[in-house]
Amino acid sequence: MDYVVGMDVGSLSTDAVILDRQGGIAGIGIVRTGASSLRAAEEALDMAVSAAGLGRSDLGYVVSTGYGRTGIPFSHRAVTEITCHARGACFLFPDTGTVVDIGGQDSKVIHVGPGGRVMDFTMNDKCAAGTGRFLEVMAEKLQVGLEDMGELSNRAQGEATISSVCTVFAESEVVSLVARDHPTEEIVRGIHRAIVGRIWGMIRSLGPKGELTMSGGVAKNRGVVAMLEELWGRPVQVPEEPQIVGALGAALIALDQETQPGE
Amino acid sequence: MRAFQALRYRVMKDLGAPALMAAARFKARRRPRRAPDPNMGAPLKCGGRLRELMTRHYLLARYAKGAMPVAWVTSGAPVELLRAFGFYTVYPENHGALCGAKGMGADLCRIAEEEGFSQDLCSYARIDLGSVMSGKTPVGRLPRPDLLFASNNICQTVGYWYNVLADRWNIPLILLDTPFNVHGGPDEASVAYMVRQFEGMIPTLEQVSGRPFRMPTLKDVLRISKETADTWGEVLGTMKARPSPMTIFDAFVHLAPVVSLRGLPAALDYYRILLAELRGRVARGEGGIREERRRLMWDNIAIWYKVRDYSTLFAEKGLNFVTATYTNAWAETAVFMDEARPFESMARAYSRVILNNDLDYRLRLMEQMIRDYQVDGLVIHSARSCKPYSVGQYDLKRLLMERFDIPSVIIEADIADERAYSEEQARTRLEAFFETLGP
Amino acid sequence: MPMNPFQPPPRREYLDRKKKEGLGLIGVFPGRYPREVFWALGALPVEIWDPPLALSASGAHLQPTICSVVKSGLELILQGQCSVLDGFLFPHTCDSLQNLGSLVSDYLDVGKPCLEFYPPKTSDGTEARVFFRREVERLFHALEPLYGPVRPDAFRHWVARSAELSRALASLYTLRAQGRLNASNVEFYRLVRALEFMDPDDLLPLLTAFVNEREVPAPLGSPAIVLSGVLPGPWGLLSLLDDLGVRVADDDLIACGRRLPGIAAPEQEPMDAVTESYAGMPPCSTINAPLKERKSRLWDQVQKTGARGVLFNIVKFCEPELFAYPVLRESLKKRGVATLLVEQDGNREIPGQAATRLEAFVEMIRQDFREGGSR
Repeated sequence: MDYVVGMDVGSLSTDAVILDRQGGIAGIGIVRTGASSLRAAEEALDMAVSAAGLGRSDLGYVVSTGYGRTGIPFSHRAVTEITCHARGACFLFPDTGTVVDIGGQDSKVIHVGPGGRVMDFTMNDKCAAGTGRFLEVMAEKLQVGLEDMGELSNRAQGEATISSVCTVFAESEVVSLVARDHPTEEIVRGIHRAIVGRIWGMIRSLGPKGELTMSGGVAKNRGVVAMLEELWGRPVQVPEEPQIVGALGAALIALDQETQPGE
Repeated sequence: MRAFQALRYRVMKDLGAPALMAAARFKARRRPRRAPDPNMGAPLKCGGRLRELMTRHYLLARYAKGAMPVAWVTSGAPVELLRAFGFYTVYPENHGALCGAKGMGADLCRIAEEEGFSQDLCSYARIDLGSVMSGKTPVGRLPRPDLLFASNNICQTVGYWYNVLADRWNIPLILLDTPFNVHGGPDEASVAYMVRQFEGMIPTLEQVSGRPFRMPTLKDVLRISKETADTWGEVLGTMKARPSPMTIFDAFVHLAPVVSLRGLPAALDYYRILLAELRGRVARGEGGIREERRRLMWDNIAIWYKVRDYSTLFAEKGLNFVTATYTNAWAETAVFMDEARPFESMARAYSRVILNNDLDYRLRLMEQMIRDYQVDGLVIHSARSCKPYSVGQYDLKRLLMERFDIPSVIIEADIADERAYSEEQARTRLEAFFETLGP
Repeated sequence: MPMNPFQPPPRREYLDRKKKEGLGLIGVFPGRYPREVFWALGALPVEIWDPPLALSASGAHLQPTICSVVKSGLELILQGQCSVLDGFLFPHTCDSLQNLGSLVSDYLDVGKPCLEFYPPKTSDGTEARVFFRREVERLFHALEPLYGPVRPDAFRHWVARSAELSRALASLYTLRAQGRLNASNVEFYRLVRALEFMDPDDLLPLLTAFVNEREVPAPLGSPAIVLSGVLPGPWGLLSLLDDLGVRVADDDLIACGRRLPGIAAPEQEPMDAVTESYAGMPPCSTINAPLKERKSRLWDQVQKTGARGVLFNIVKFCEPELFAYPVLRESLKKRGVATLLVEQDGNREIPGQAATRLEAFVEMIRQDFREGGSR
């Protein structure tokens, strides 16, 4: 087969990436997962297939990743997001040593070695603080769009302090700030500070390595990226479509399979 | 020990420290006075003296390394043995309390957490490890120890914590294992076990300090220690007066010398002066707070980063904490110390530290204190970090309330990590407590 | 799936049967203690580590930051599920267990004797051994009112039996470490954990038969890990490892491998034999073993088994393990050994995200395994 597929079935969104044998991206599909991972996977794949101008029969090996990776009947193999993000990030930025993925439900920091292989990793998967969920909750409290938070934050003159480690307590802090008419952009900046603080702690616990590449939806937030860069001390690498890094990594693993079959 | 360091230490002790203390006093006099809190009684005159004593202790600590053997010590360890060998002692728990009080707890904890130490571990330990790893400390510089000296009478955690330090620095760790006392005790076999442990410590102490063990020196130190602990007990005893001449928040602060300078003449001298001042206040009917409407008891270690706030908050409401199990701990075991039987009496004294006894003992002790100090209400700090203190508190509260029918409240917090404290939650509970105490 | 003939019997049924046969039963909380004392008195120690209970009543007595082992143990008592037990033993293993013993004994009215055992926490020295012997005697004195005086030959007999059991366990562990035991992780630990409640007379034949049946001449090829921490489970974790084709080749678990007794010389007096076998147990942080010893043992286990990684399976809030963990991890990292920490909170299954982490860890070590190289 001339094409392979990587699917990332997350709790919030489902992405599909189709690669050709040279590793070029032929088509992408992104949909909201909604209540059915399987339906979302079919939809995302259809979208990618039609973007690529192909048919289903052109597709070879399929690797799935993400929360719903094992529920996809047309997937040949399930691989964790850790391995896939490492692979995908390295493909896009070959000098990547550290991958920071801030997803909707969890966040991870991964040390990658040659070829994008995982050397070490740490995950925050028990607590909303430090994930996209934290930002969603706060954005709703502040009545701002998630996509506007980056700009607001970078515009702020000052910064409010959110001291709680817990999302629930932090939320009530934000409510008090709003009640006191504190400027929204300063609160947003404070929220970004809180999430970056958590991520930075995870990065430090592994130790810095190589260049830093971000993936996951939150990487689109320029406010968060700017704060992380301050701490990292130099620019961090952000793909154009950070959300599809996992699916891309899965597709690359599928490509390995297609070109060198048998593990 | 090296000659240069020894000389430098002497110079600092005899000239440097006094000069710096004098300069600090001068500066303090010239600083604009903060307006006194109308709800508090007059501040203790001894406050300044205490600050000097502890500042001097940490100042000289910086020059101790190389001048004399240095040990890091747990609060319940039999420090008298170290004094007999001339060790300079540092108490990481005292340091942790200081960091907590200055709001530095969370930052230092975070450093340890980034190294992989779980957030669920004792915050004194995390602060200590964070400080050791980063070199950050509010006291200038802590001297690296030559030896670690611990006892698990206060908790088993100190064993795990000090083992990490011993491994990191590759230095000896001496730990006095005090079997837990159930239904009274310690029994003869436990005492014998502890005495044999003391005997076993001597060779290592001689080797690290470079000095031979002399029993008469130990006896002298024991005598001072006992008198210091007795005097501290009398200091606490003045709080039985109505009104109490100081608050328990004062006591938490004035606790430092009996914990970390016990066995040194300076600590004994200090408590004699403090006792005299307090007796004077009792004679004049001067209270620690302006109007003592109700008398309270505090259980567990302090919430160090809230001591000042709570002091003000409770004083405003006319509520005075007149006793605490925590401060009492360094007084109640003094009775066992006996220079005629040094090792045996030390074994009994250190084995009897409050947390090394069953919960029944703790219940009866608290009942006694409620009666002796005429306590009207109870605030129980359920400290996340401190399992030996915290496990059993819910039942303790229930039983005390059944027997005395006095209001009580539990505050879930932590001793030194300010992130484990929710102002909202604590306030709500305290306000409800204040209401039940009545006008 | 064929029935595994070496499965230990269901615990509840077994204990009811033993009770009818006239054996005494004492509920023992986690820790190191001399089992031989119970056996010599015609009783069985029944260990309480992780009863599968929903926690409710224990919340009235214990803060949320107390570990699930202690909470579920208390829950068992509060839910009145201990009617078959004649009493309890609380070894002073850690602060929470120490206080739990006191809480149950002093503050709750369980109507049964509550005993305790204090393992010496100093490094192995004469004074520790003397104190240990005294504790063993004290345990006898505490149990004799319940079960009658012990006959001297009974203690000798059961100490010898215990040594047989230790030898059988040691050979089981050795075979597994060599990769020559054809058994799933779940099967292995069901059998080993049967020690927590079975009479050695019933367990020994099972162990022997198991080894005879499952021993294979050549090492199995699956990737191996060492498991370190408190308990091997939950069962969901072990079966996930089985599904992923990963063998636990050795363990440094408080409930299992860290309690393998040293084997005493057969001609020793029973009290000496018990003392020596106890002192010969692997280093444990609950008795303040220097970290150097723990590091060294773990590295030894990794080397002997050819393990590619160490999985730290620690019960949330467990202080002795969590203090040691960063130091152990660092020393393994320096030697190029992959590690992963999972924290257990009393769940019987592993939550989705923990499963992902495990899978990612396995993917990581498999890369290494396939290429057969060092990092």
